[in-house]
Amino acid sequence: MENDPILRIEDIKKAYRAREILKGISLSISKGELKVLIGPSGGGKSTLLQCINFLVMPDGGDVWLEGRKVNPHRKRELYGYRQQVGMIFQDFNLFDHLSALQNVQIALLRVKGMDKKSARERAVAELERVGLGKHIDHYPAQLSGGQKQRVSIARALAMDPKVMLLDEPTSALDPELIGEVLAVIKNLVANGMTMIMATHQISFSSAFATEIIFMEDGLIVEQGPPSKILSSAECARTKEFCSKIYDLHGEGN
Amino acid sequence: MMPEGLIAVFQALPYILQGSFVTIGIVLGAMGFGLAMGIPLALGQVYGSPPVRVAVRIYVWFFRGVPLLVLLFLFYFGFCSLLDINLSAFTVSVAVLGLISAAYQSQIFRGAIASLPAGQLKAARALGMSDAKAVWFIILPQALRLSIPAWSNEYSIVLKDSAVAYALGVAEIMARTHFVATRTYQHLPLYLAAGTIYLILTYAGTRGLRLLENKVRIRGYSR
Ligand SMILES: Nc1ncnc2c1ncn2[C@@H]1O[C@H](COP(=O)(O)OP(=O)(O)OP(=O)(O)O)[C@@H](O)[C@H]1O
Ligand SMILES: [Mg+2]
Repeated sequence: MENDPILRIEDIKKAYRAREILKGISLSISKGELKVLIGPSGGGKSTLLQCINFLVMPDGGDVWLEGRKVNPHRKRELYGYRQQVGMIFQDFNLFDHLSALQNVQIALLRVKGMDKKSARERAVAELERVGLGKHIDHYPAQLSGGQKQRVSIARALAMDPKVMLLDEPTSALDPELIGEVLAVIKNLVANGMTMIMATHQISFSSAFATEIIFMEDGLIVEQGPPSKILSSAECARTKEFCSKIYDLHGEGN
Repeated sequence: MMPEGLIAVFQALPYILQGSFVTIGIVLGAMGFGLAMGIPLALGQVYGSPPVRVAVRIYVWFFRGVPLLVLLFLFYFGFCSLLDINLSAFTVSVAVLGLISAAYQSQIFRGAIASLPAGQLKAARALGMSDAKAVWFIILPQALRLSIPAWSNEYSIVLKDSAVAYALGVAEIMARTHFVATRTYQHLPLYLAAGTIYLILTYAGTRGLRLLENKVRIRGYSR
């Protein structure tokens, strides 16, 4: 029971016109695991993450959450499912007309139907948890990139997601702001959050990932625990890619 | 010349100013109607299925393409008698100006919606919001803010266009001015006075909308 996957996807396919972006991706993740997607640009990582919560509708394949197959064509079921799957985007996608507090509150009020007082308490708690207790009344335009990304993480966490999908959460950040976001993610790992994350942060991944999944041209090419995938000779493709990233970004952190 | 002109203006002013209430009524009615219809039209054009989008485009093409006077006569003398409905000239003026304004306003809102970063809709959906909630709580509050300057422009156009209701015999500013002018022969001062009233109404409206724009401005944005 312990190791039953929380989320399982099978044979996810997606094509834009004649171009196959995802050629049948399967994976599963159990509670508390962090699975990291790496691979060259255009390999389909963002598309895969968005197919998992049906922001992009896959052409084929299935998704199971806690053993229940999700039918994305039934609206209620889809909305209910998405509430349980948090999503973090590369460019934050905060609601610009709402303060940090309101950004975190809005889905609690309008989706979960919480009353004002508990929604506020919960939102403040989540913002404090990501170190933004002093910034709850700031608007997105008044926050740094790192702060914005932390608000977006607080917004996702407030929904009590069972799984979180993170699409290059630090890629849009200035190097000196990456650390504060990674620290928050590190904390989530420590607290047993289940996550699938696309990232180029190789050293972070090798330290914290349960598994690294190397994707290229819409397929999983290699996958395994960091120790194996980053060093063993079988995973030549991944090693080559990672060494390129090291060359580009130094230690990649 | 000058004194008689001034006297004519002062004598006629209360009568003409009463017409400004009619003008304001037409403009508020038409702008409100245009707002109530322009938002769904814009949403239809941005998020609707292909047939819905085509329908909106045809609507916009029609009401932006046919002259106001033609539409007024078409509805007042044409459709109203064809369908045997008895509508006042005022009502028809509000309706026609409103239908036209809806076409223009839909394009204002469409542009504003399109200028919002697409990621916000995704983020709203990712939180489990239905599209209707996302539009209502996330998209429209921002799109409407962005629309205020263009909306202010639309207000001044509708205000000026409302003078054409004179052709249906609605007793607004223009009709009353014309009525007095043909009796006193003081055309120049009376039409100057009428023009001034329109300028004041334009100023008041755009000024009010400017205040609204500042009031609802999102913090952190300089402009
Ligand atoms: N809406 C779309 N229409 C057409 N093609 C698309 C669309 N979205 C993505 N693609 C294409 O799908 C491919 C995979 O894109 P995706 O963003 O999933 O890659 P990625 O692995 O996330 O890359 P990156 O590392 O640059 O973020 C790209 O070639 C992209 O051009
Ligand atoms: Mg991507």
